[in-house]
Amino acid sequence: MSTEPAPNLPAIEARGLVKRFHFHPVLDDLAFTLQDGECCVLIGANGAGKTTLLRILAGLARPGAGQVLINGTPLYARPSSRAALGYISHQPMFYEDLTARENLRHYARLYFIQDPEPRIAQAVQSAGLENTQNQPVRTYSRGMQQRLSIERALLHDPQILLFDEPYTGLDQDAALQLDRRLDALHTPGRAILIAAHRPQRLLAVASHIAWLREGKIRRHLPTNALDSFPELQAYLQEAP
Amino acid sequence: MRPLLRYLKIIGGILRKDVQVEWRGRQGVPVMLVFTLLVVFLFNFTLQLSPDLQSSLAAGLLWVSLAFASTLGLNRSVSLERENRALDGLLLAPVDRSAIYFGKMLSNLLFTLLVALILLPVFSLFYSRNMLHPGLIGVILLGLSAYTSLGTLLAALSIQTRTRDVMLPVLLYPLALPILIAAAEATRGILEGNPTGALGSWLTFLGACVILFTAAGLVFFETILEE
Repeated sequence: MSTEPAPNLPAIEARGLVKRFHFHPVLDDLAFTLQDGECCVLIGANGAGKTTLLRILAGLARPGAGQVLINGTPLYARPSSRAALGYISHQPMFYEDLTARENLRHYARLYFIQDPEPRIAQAVQSAGLENTQNQPVRTYSRGMQQRLSIERALLHDPQILLFDEPYTGLDQDAALQLDRRLDALHTPGRAILIAAHRPQRLLAVASHIAWLREGKIRRHLPTNALDSFPELQAYLQEAP
Repeated sequence: MRPLLRYLKIIGGILRKDVQVEWRGRQGVPVMLVFTLLVVFLFNFTLQLSPDLQSSLAAGLLWVSLAFASTLGLNRSVSLERENRALDGLLLAPVDRSAIYFGKMLSNLLFTLLVALILLPVFSLFYSRNMLHPGLIGVILLGLSAYTSLGTLLAALSIQTRTRDVMLPVLLYPLALPILIAAAEATRGILEGNPTGALGSWLTFLGACVILFTAAGLVFFETILEE
């Protein structure tokens, strides 16, 4: 991977995060750690602050207080620490008039990837877009854009992957493909955090679950320990 | 790779991407050009100025036209990054975010300069003045550098607002007024052979604006884009 994890340090550590919107606290002294090899589903009701937390962890939003450490390095103090991150939201972050290859080339330049063409070819193949790679991205379906978006985030081989509601707008086939891709990405050297409003299908892939409620991570536990937390189980059963 | 080289590579990468998007979509420069030509035609045919008056007003009209064109280009530049949240993709890059400012500023400047170079012969035709003067091209380069360095910063500010499409001109025109006055005066000085001897002062003022607003972009761009 592009950034070697520091020994004994969490891949991501959030300390005392506070974020307010119009004086309403969304995150309130939130603490959270994500270890290498962990695939954690972040659950919470609509408006609980999952997207806000992910955007702060990705360095796209700045907390009112607290800090984020990437392998022990403060995220906001060292722009280079963002090289360890891959972020996938339900917005694909592509330029619609450019083709898949041109968009990937642009991202390869942003991450200083040496000899990017083999990686771009591999990314196009992994996304299953070989036949449409020279078409403008605006002609792609939502599923095709999401597959390409995942490959875009993986292009620089990040150690940490942050997914924000990756199943939004995907049909059944595309969702199954995403299940398989997530399963393949879950490796010992990589940390994955997936925010999901409907987490059931992710429980088979995830090693951990974190419950965001009232601005704090109320529970963070291995998925095989769910039986010990009836309150959390009840929430998962009620989730649509 | 050395930090400065990485920084320059990001600037170059953003500039290259903007040129590529423009080449593919052709939604920026053609619109800027058509709009600017319409402004020139409208001024010419509605004001019905005498040749003497036309000549003395040419500098001001040129800069009003270029300000409109540049503002259109800045709005397009903002909307391009807003679609699909492409701006997030730039913000995730592991480099100081002021590089994004410089990349966007250079692409805005390039597109407006292109429009200006096409506009000058049209102005020469309508306003009975030879506008293809090397000194004038230098003034345009300096004036547009000042205008786009300020405009790119304010475009980043407007991207955060709900009324972003109208917010940019509302913020930009009052703040850019000294730039436009200085650029028009310097243009007049070039066209009329510097009769007041003030050309050097106007050029110095424009140069100072370039330095001031570029430095502001370097310092404040990341803060402006933060949520």
